[in-house]
Amino acid sequence: MKYLFIDSATTNLVVAIIKDGKISYIYNKNEGHDTSGKMMPILAEAFSSSCLAPKDIDKIFVVTGPGSFTGIRVGLTVAKTMAYALNIPIVPISSLEVMASGLPGTALINARRGYVFAGSYDKNLNNIYPDSYMFMSDSLEKPYISYDNFDFTVEKPIVDVLKIIKKHENDLAVNPHTLKPNYLKLTEAEERFYDKADR
Amino acid sequence: MYILAIESSCDETSVSIIKDGQEEISTVILSQMDTHANYGGVVPEIASRMHVENITLVIDEALKKANMKMTDIDAFAVTYGPGLIGSLLVGLMAAKTLAFIYNKPLIPVHHIAGHIYANNLVKRLEFPLIALVVSGGHTELIYMKEDYSFEKLGSTLDDAVGEAYDKVARVINVPYPGGPLVDKLAFDGKDTYDLPVPLNDDSYNFSFSGLKSAVINLAHNERQKGNEINVANMACSFQNRVVYILVKKTMKALKDYNVKNLIVAGGVAANKGLREALTKACNDESVNLIIPSLKYCTDNAAMIGVAAYYAYKLGRVAGLDLNAKAVTTLE
Repeated sequence: MKYLFIDSATTNLVVAIIKDGKISYIYNKNEGHDTSGKMMPILAEAFSSSCLAPKDIDKIFVVTGPGSFTGIRVGLTVAKTMAYALNIPIVPISSLEVMASGLPGTALINARRGYVFAGSYDKNLNNIYPDSYMFMSDSLEKPYISYDNFDFTVEKPIVDVLKIIKKHENDLAVNPHTLKPNYLKLTEAEERFYDKADR
Repeated sequence: MYILAIESSCDETSVSIIKDGQEEISTVILSQMDTHANYGGVVPEIASRMHVENITLVIDEALKKANMKMTDIDAFAVTYGPGLIGSLLVGLMAAKTLAFIYNKPLIPVHHIAGHIYANNLVKRLEFPLIALVVSGGHTELIYMKEDYSFEKLGSTLDDAVGEAYDKVARVINVPYPGGPLVDKLAFDGKDTYDLPVPLNDDSYNFSFSGLKSAVINLAHNERQKGNEINVANMACSFQNRVVYILVKKTMKALKDYNVKNLIVAGGVAANKGLREALTKACNDESVNLIIPSLKYCTDNAAMIGVAAYYAYKLGRVAGLDLNAKAVTTLE
């Protein structure tokens, strides 16, 4: 089986092609900017160096969030478009699970003003504290894993794409048309709008 | 040559298939206007979210309407700017993905070039021409001596004309989107308010912020005195000044450059007051006037597919590293 994996939700961009249980190409760099410009050239390189064409892919695994709203949309638009056009099954993955894939603990993404996107995972990638948008709390299981800087100690994430794929290989594929980002957070305009409606 | 074009620069997700730059095979436009009306204007993050939810559905619908398959498409075109960056990126990534997986040319189109080429769906453009570009983000006079040659003669120094309409609408309590309603109200009212003609000089530039402020001050003063303003009369007085100066400077440009072809582009090209005044002025001066039909005045992918054809003929294609630009000059 041939799989494509895309994660552009955090500052760390991952694009990987997996052929019969082995990684045949991986881009895994924490460069943090211009995902929209870099994504397609990296994808083109992934396919050419794996001697594959997009239509050869049997399943797409794409991170749908949480994380950078724009970053999520860049990777998800590519994955959705490819899945729709070539009729390839597509499976959504959590960015926090990717971050905790090589080192169990609580993955954190800084959401500013004391808030975080947080999710705790055990060594079998079970989501023991569900992915949430929340005020940072000490009660979350250590170690803390993040690409971002905090005023407490965090470990740098280790991405284990094969482990994630193994866990989700048999997940039900979703309809690419209805696959949405998992922002875990309303827009500020919506928050204000619903606040007003509540009062 | 069949081009599949994608436009997502603001609050419309649109996909169109255009044959040879002149024949519209299919167009789908999904407007988010009803959602943004809740917030009194377009909320960029909400717009981006809706684009990503709808993009593949809109592409699919455009193909189905055309009774075509993706493999029938010869090239993919996309608006790369100007516009809301998050919104642009959704259309851009979708177009780049399609160009990549089908190994077809990717044609980048400037949003305003699209608006200009919407007129090519009415009739093949004849050069040289003057283009009056009027929208929520632009007010420009452009001289074109041939396809894809854009010489800017003048532009607004502050607010775009559509922006002024929306702001004036808010002041006189006309709901979003204010422009079309102010235009409608103007026909029910009389020109009774003493408003200035903005930047009434010999340049090709425009300025609408002074006129907008005059409306705000007048409305404020009347309310201070306990008088309600007559909304229809205010709409009429405002629209008359705007139309007067747009028509005057456009006709001057035509005369100065000895050009007999005028095209109008952008959302405000749907304004009935402006359409009527330009039609009359062009009749009087024997100028050939083209205005897009109403459905092509607002944002749509058909115009992008048309512009893309002429861009492609000039070799304007992009690589997979093409990026979206919130602000970019027409060239």
